[in-house]
Amino acid sequence: MVRKIRVLVAKPGLDGHDRGALIIAQALRDHGMEVIYTGLRQSPAQIAQAAVQEDVDVIGLSSLSGAHRTLFPKVLEELKHRDAIDIPVIGGGVIPSEDIPYLIDQGIRKIFTSGSSTEVLADYIQELIDPKTKPIEKPKKIAHIGIAVENIDNSLSFYTDALGLELEAVEQVETEGVKVAFINLGESRLELLEPLNDTSPIRRFLDKKGEGIHHIALEVDDIKTRLEQLIKQGVKVINEKPKPGANNSQIAFIHPKAASGVLFEICQHEKSDN
Amino acid sequence: MSENKLHSSEKVQYETSVSKILKRFPERQQPFTTSSDIEVKRLYDADSAESKSSYPGQYPYTRGIQPTMYRSRFWTMRQYAGFGSAAETNKRFRYLLEQGQTGLSVAFDLPTQIGYDSDDIMSEGEVGKVGVAIDTLKDMERLLDQIPLDKVSTSMTINAPASVLLCMYIAVGEKQGVPLEKLTGTIQNDILKEYIARGTYIFPPKPSMRLITNIFEYCQKFVPKFNTISISGYHIREAGSNAVQEAAFTIANGIAYVDAAIESGLDVDSFAPRLAFFFNAHNNFFEEVAKFRASRRIWAKIMKEHYQAKDPKSWKLRFHTQTGGSTLTAQQPDNNIVRVTLQALAAVMGGTQSLHTNSRDEALSLPTEDSARIALRTQQIIAHESGVADTIDPLGGSYYVEALTDEMEEKINEYLEQIKEIGGAVQAVEEGYMQREIHQNAYEIQKRIEKEEEIIVGLNKFKLDEEVNPDLLKVDEALEKAQIESLQSIRKERDQKAVDKALSALKENAKTPDANLIPNILDAVRVYASVGEICNVLREEFGEYTGL
Repeated sequence: MVRKIRVLVAKPGLDGHDRGALIIAQALRDHGMEVIYTGLRQSPAQIAQAAVQEDVDVIGLSSLSGAHRTLFPKVLEELKHRDAIDIPVIGGGVIPSEDIPYLIDQGIRKIFTSGSSTEVLADYIQELIDPKTKPIEKPKKIAHIGIAVENIDNSLSFYTDALGLELEAVEQVETEGVKVAFINLGESRLELLEPLNDTSPIRRFLDKKGEGIHHIALEVDDIKTRLEQLIKQGVKVINEKPKPGANNSQIAFIHPKAASGVLFEICQHEKSDN
Repeated sequence: MSENKLHSSEKVQYETSVSKILKRFPERQQPFTTSSDIEVKRLYDADSAESKSSYPGQYPYTRGIQPTMYRSRFWTMRQYAGFGSAAETNKRFRYLLEQGQTGLSVAFDLPTQIGYDSDDIMSEGEVGKVGVAIDTLKDMERLLDQIPLDKVSTSMTINAPASVLLCMYIAVGEKQGVPLEKLTGTIQNDILKEYIARGTYIFPPKPSMRLITNIFEYCQKFVPKFNTISISGYHIREAGSNAVQEAAFTIANGIAYVDAAIESGLDVDSFAPRLAFFFNAHNNFFEEVAKFRASRRIWAKIMKEHYQAKDPKSWKLRFHTQTGGSTLTAQQPDNNIVRVTLQALAAVMGGTQSLHTNSRDEALSLPTEDSARIALRTQQIIAHESGVADTIDPLGGSYYVEALTDEMEEKINEYLEQIKEIGGAVQAVEEGYMQREIHQNAYEIQKRIEKEEEIIVGLNKFKLDEEVNPDLLKVDEALEKAQIESLQSIRKERDQKAVDKALSALKENAKTPDANLIPNILDAVRVYASVGEICNVLREEFGEYTGL
C-alpha cells in the first residue's frame, strides 16, 4: 500500500486565528493526506520537534499576526538543528506580497496568501512530495482536423480524387447536428463537417466565417483528468464534462479565447484499437 | 368587492403571470438562501409576516432601544486602532479624534492580550504587531497622554487580562484627576468566545469566570459608567459561523455570564444594565439587519421573563458593530470600501450603538492612515449624507425584514435550546460543540467559494490578471527591542518592594475563591507591576488553559 503524504499544519506564535489552518487541515485530509494539527501557540522549536517526531513530509505554517518574518525563518533554523531541513516548509495567512521574496529567500518553499484555493494547495503538495503519483500524459497526437464544408459530396473529390486519400466512413452525429466524413491521413484524420440543420454549430461557423478549418482535435489518454486539470488552471473551456463524440469517442472543446483564436477539441477514443 | 378580495384576486393574477414567465425564463438559481441557509422567497407580502406592532424604546425593543434613536445622536463612530508603541498609537488616536471620531478603541498586541511581557520568550516577533504593546502603567500613561478620560469613552479589546488593563485605565484616570464614576468605556472581557473562536485565553474557564464576575462587582460599586463586558459574536462570525450561529452562540454566552454573576451573589439588575454586545456585519444585507432586530427581541425576553429583571435597562441589548474582516479580499482591495459601506449600512439599519468600519487594506496588513480615514469617512457619509438616520428603523414593516426577523428569532432559539440541553455555554465550549459547528460551516463556505457556488467579486469571478500592490503599513521591527529596553528600565526604577508586596497579596487572595481580586490588581499596577508579572501570579494559582 502506498504511504499517505503526512502534513504538519502549525500555528507559530501567539496568533489565535485558526480558521484558515483548520480549513486547510480538513481539505488536505479530504485529498487523502494525513494531517497533524499542532493547535495554537506553538514555538518554532515545538513545531520542528513535532515535525521530526511525526515524520511528516511537509510543514504548513499559518500566521495572521504579522510575525511571519520572525517566526517562519525560526522554524527553518530549528529544523536545521534537528537535521531535518529537508522537510519542505510552506506558509500562508495574512502575508503582504512584498514579504514573500524575503521568506522564499530564507528557505520557505512557497507562500499561499488569502484567496488561494485548497485544490491548488493540495496539488502543490502532491507535486512537491510525490510527483510520480499523478502525472498527466501529454496529448499524444493530432487526432483530427475538422474542416467545415457546405456540402460533403461537393468537397470530397479534392481529398479522395486529387490527393488520393481514403474515405473511411460517413457518420451523422445527431446531437451535434452534423454529418462527418472521416478521411484517413497517416496516424491522423481529416474530418469534413457538414451542418444537418440551421441550429448546428457548423451552420453558425459557416455563416460567420465561410468554409475552412473549424477545429483541431488532440488525442489524450484520460480526458476526464485532463479536462479537470485545464479547468483548475483557469483555462476557459466550452464543455466542463466530456461528452460523446463521433467514432466512439469522448470529446470536449476548449474555448478559442484560451488558444489565440483556435478552437481545440480534446478527445479520447475507446481503448479497442482494432 | 371588499379590499381583501381585491387583494387576493390580484395575488392570484400575479402568481399566474409568474408561472407563465418562469416557463420561458427560469430564475438565476434554485433555491435562493441567506448565509444561514434560510430560504428567501420570491416575494414577501402581508401574508408573510405577522404584524407585530412595536415601538422603539419599548419592550422587546425590536425596533431599537431608544425612543428617538439617531434623531437625537448618531451612533458612536469608534475605529479600532493600535500598533507599535504606546506613543505611536497615541498619535493615531489624536489624529482620529481630530478627524471627528467620537470614541477610542484600543487594539493590544498579542503578548499583552495573552498576559506576556514584551521580553518573554513567547513574545518574540509579536511585540506591537497587531496592536499596541502594554507592559506597565507607564505604557498606558503614554497611550492616553493628553486624552481627557472624562470626555472620551474608550473601548479596550482585552479579555483574559481585562482586569489588569482596566486597572491601568483607572490608574491613569486617577493621575489625570478624573473621578472613577466619570470614566466611560468598555472592556471586551468575554472569555468564552476566546475559547470558541479567538484564541487569546490564559486561564481555564472557572477562574476566568471568577475574574469576570469580580469585575462586574467592582465596577458596579466604583466605576458605574463602564461597560464591564462586551459579549462578542464578532469573532465567532469571523471564525466561520453563519449569522444565526453568531447571534445564538453570543446570546448563549451572555446567559452564561448572567448565570455566573447571579451565582456569585449579584442581583441581576445591579450588573445587567452594563452588559454590552458586539456583533459582526457581513454582506447579506437584510439578513444582517434581521439578525440585529431578532437578537434585541430575544435578549429582552430572556432578561425580563427568565431572569425577572425589573430595570428596563437590563432588558436592552446594546451593541457595537464591526464590519466583517473575513469578507475583505486581498485582491482588488479598493472593492473592500464598497463592501464595508454595505455592511455599515446594515449595522445602522439594525440600530447599532457604535460602529467600526474596516479599512480596505486589512486583508493585507494593518490599515494605513489613508485607509483608516476612508473607513471613518464611510460612516460619516452614511450619517450625514444618506438620510437613513433621519427616521427610526426605516426597514421596520418591510414584509421581508419582518418575516426574516421572525425566522431568525426562531432559528436562534433552536440553538439556544440545544445549548441548554448540553448544559449551558460553558459546558458546550468545554465539549467543543460550538467550535465544531463553526468549523463545519467555515469549511462549507470555502468549498462553495471554490466551486463558484458563492461568488466573491475579484476572488473567484471578475478577476484581474495583474494585481496592484497597495502601500501597506509597516511596523518597525526595531520596536520590539525598544519596548523591551523600556520595560527593563522601568523594572530598575520602580519600588521593587512595593511590587513584591502587591503581588504576594494578590497571590494570597487568589487562593480564596470568594475574594474580589480587583483591588489587589489595582494596587499592583499602581506600583508598575507588569501585565506579565500579574498574569504569572494568577497562572500559578489558576493554571493555564491549553485548548481542546
